[in-house]
Amino acid sequence: MAKVTEITVWTRGVVLDKEARDVANAFAQAAKTEGKFIQAFDNYEDLPDRVLVTTRKYARISDEEIVMKYEYANHHPDVVVIVEPTIVKGINVLKGMPEGGLLVINTNRPIDYMLKFIPNADMLGAIATVDADGISGVRTVDFSGSEGGVDAAGIGSGIAAPILGAMARVTGMVKKESLSKIVKDVASLDRGYNEVKLQKFRKSRSEYFWGS
Amino acid sequence: MLSGCAAAAQGAKLAEVEVICSYPIRPYTAIMMELARMVANGELDAEFIHGEGEHAQVSVVLGASAAGARAYTGSSGVGVTYAFEVYSPAAGGRYPLQMAIADRTLDPPGDFGSEHTDAMSARDQGWLMGWAATPQEVLDNTLINFRVGEDPAIMLPQFVCQDGYFLSHIPDKVIVPELSQVREFLPPYKAPHPLSTECPVSHGPQIRPDQGAPMDAQRAATFLEVPRVIERAVADYNRIFGRNYDPYLEKYKMEDAEVAYFIQGAHANTCKAAINRLRSKGLKAGMVRPRWVRPWPTQQIAEAFAKVKAVASVETSTSYGGAMRGGNLVHELRASLYDLERRPLVTSFMAGLGGDVILLEDFEYMAKILTQMVQEKKTRQHVYWIGFEE
Amino acid sequence: MPIKVPKDREVPFGAITPAPVGQQELFITSNWRIVRPVIDHEKCTRCFTCYASCPDSCWSFNEKEEKMEWNWKFCKGCQICIYECPADALSAAPELDFEDGVVRLEKPF
Repeated sequence: MAKVTEITVWTRGVVLDKEARDVANAFAQAAKTEGKFIQAFDNYEDLPDRVLVTTRKYARISDEEIVMKYEYANHHPDVVVIVEPTIVKGINVLKGMPEGGLLVINTNRPIDYMLKFIPNADMLGAIATVDADGISGVRTVDFSGSEGGVDAAGIGSGIAAPILGAMARVTGMVKKESLSKIVKDVASLDRGYNEVKLQKFRKSRSEYFWGS
Repeated sequence: MLSGCAAAAQGAKLAEVEVICSYPIRPYTAIMMELARMVANGELDAEFIHGEGEHAQVSVVLGASAAGARAYTGSSGVGVTYAFEVYSPAAGGRYPLQMAIADRTLDPPGDFGSEHTDAMSARDQGWLMGWAATPQEVLDNTLINFRVGEDPAIMLPQFVCQDGYFLSHIPDKVIVPELSQVREFLPPYKAPHPLSTECPVSHGPQIRPDQGAPMDAQRAATFLEVPRVIERAVADYNRIFGRNYDPYLEKYKMEDAEVAYFIQGAHANTCKAAINRLRSKGLKAGMVRPRWVRPWPTQQIAEAFAKVKAVASVETSTSYGGAMRGGNLVHELRASLYDLERRPLVTSFMAGLGGDVILLEDFEYMAKILTQMVQEKKTRQHVYWIGFEE
Repeated sequence: MPIKVPKDREVPFGAITPAPVGQQELFITSNWRIVRPVIDHEKCTRCFTCYASCPDSCWSFNEKEEKMEWNWKFCKGCQICIYECPADALSAAPELDFEDGVVRLEKPF
């Protein structure tokens, strides 16, 4: 069985739910256009989302057809994306992450400050921050995609776009060009790609190519 | 990529349903959210009614169907059991309405994981019933069930069931057919005796006890007609839409199988992957997935398992105090195999209850037990509880 | 055939659970907030409007220190107390500005 790369996106319900869905869906879609096999879905137990309560979205990417489709959660995420920065205080976001993983946070605060809230960060491969709110400034709210429906408002018109750009840069798993065909706000995608800040801790896991 | 709920909504839209009655309950509720969006956009021209409960839901679509409209509703878990009173009137009154069920464990306590007991507990009510294994099949079953249910010789309501969350919320590849193809496959609904002012009729009157048995016999006779209608419908479906469905069962590597799984619903996909692994280790395993629970494909199941040495039914539903003290598929499976010359050994595994994921390791454990049974030539236990054995 | 439920999956009889008295330590909701109320004790008139308006009873009066005390474990950042305070003693500050109040739960709830 080929390795399945697990990506978990943490966000807050109702007000930021759509943005996290966009992050998971667009990243997986882009990987699909590049020939990978994917899954992208919400965590079932967190739904229906309540205002500001933390929720999770998942994406899985593999070179072969994914066999265990029905697992409720990503128990060993390789990449954890945090759409609302306060979540690092409230949740042990690195739970289950194997050594050398990647943490991406949407914040304008310095990385050292964020590390104060993550005591087990030394097992990370790298941590990256991107000021998605500053770049895009739009937090779309759209209820049509929750509970298994279909997103009607389009993908990537808010802070999801710079976060996706940052993810493309630091994971190297999908090309920015694939994402730019899916995302609405391509300008923010490019800015996120260029303005992501990265701090490496240890040797990265071999599947990843840490941009710079 | 659509989830099972989105696929069911697309199926209902293509079938051009005319009356939809909704009431929210997870996990099926996404179907109604999608349909509401379509009706609001004008993509679907239908009456969208909010029921005040699941009992009201089925009553509303029963009335709509009696008046001659193609009606659609759905529910999950305890909602299915709340509407229970209306199931028999819907089947006995011969209204071909459709109810989409996304399974959910019955209370107590509130567990929204998938379990088939909610719909399985209604299998004696006289409806057609079957489980899908992929979102594509949910869409296809929606259309096939309308065709079979609305056939003038049949006229029965249908349960189109899918696993909650595993199928209803996890997206997979779905080909959405064209409306022109669907119109070729599915003729408009013609109620034989609709409620109308031109030709007044009474539906559901009071009868004498001596008229009861003939009513039941009439309904039973209809079920004898259903198989040939299913075969014709599925043959047409395969031809028009390019699919490859067997009318009754999905058989996987059964040609030379020595041990086999009998499993319905989404977990059958994991079962297939487990079978591939087992075969690469030298065990000849196979799988049969029934696509219909009512009518039960007795003959086809007996033929499929005739040469198999041991069969395990994987139960994602409960039948407390039942004959085998486990689930309910195994009872009808054993009944189907009873008349065979040489009966395979049969056991059952309670797995996936409460919404548990059935892992590849669980299927391999089941294979180990089956091989043991074949070697010892007997069944040691009729029910195994996966995860709860010592 | 004995059915043995593993220890970590045991459930109470009939799913009947004891109700909490006082604070529910099993359901800490401090990670729901993104802002927190900051109190200026000089301006506070001890009118108890914040105590009355909080939907989660997160304000209480500390008798010894004669100050309003804020419950950091259950405040969800709804800001009703901030709007209701007649003395303008409360203001909202981003939760991330504060290094205390870290819970780091394993799951959302």
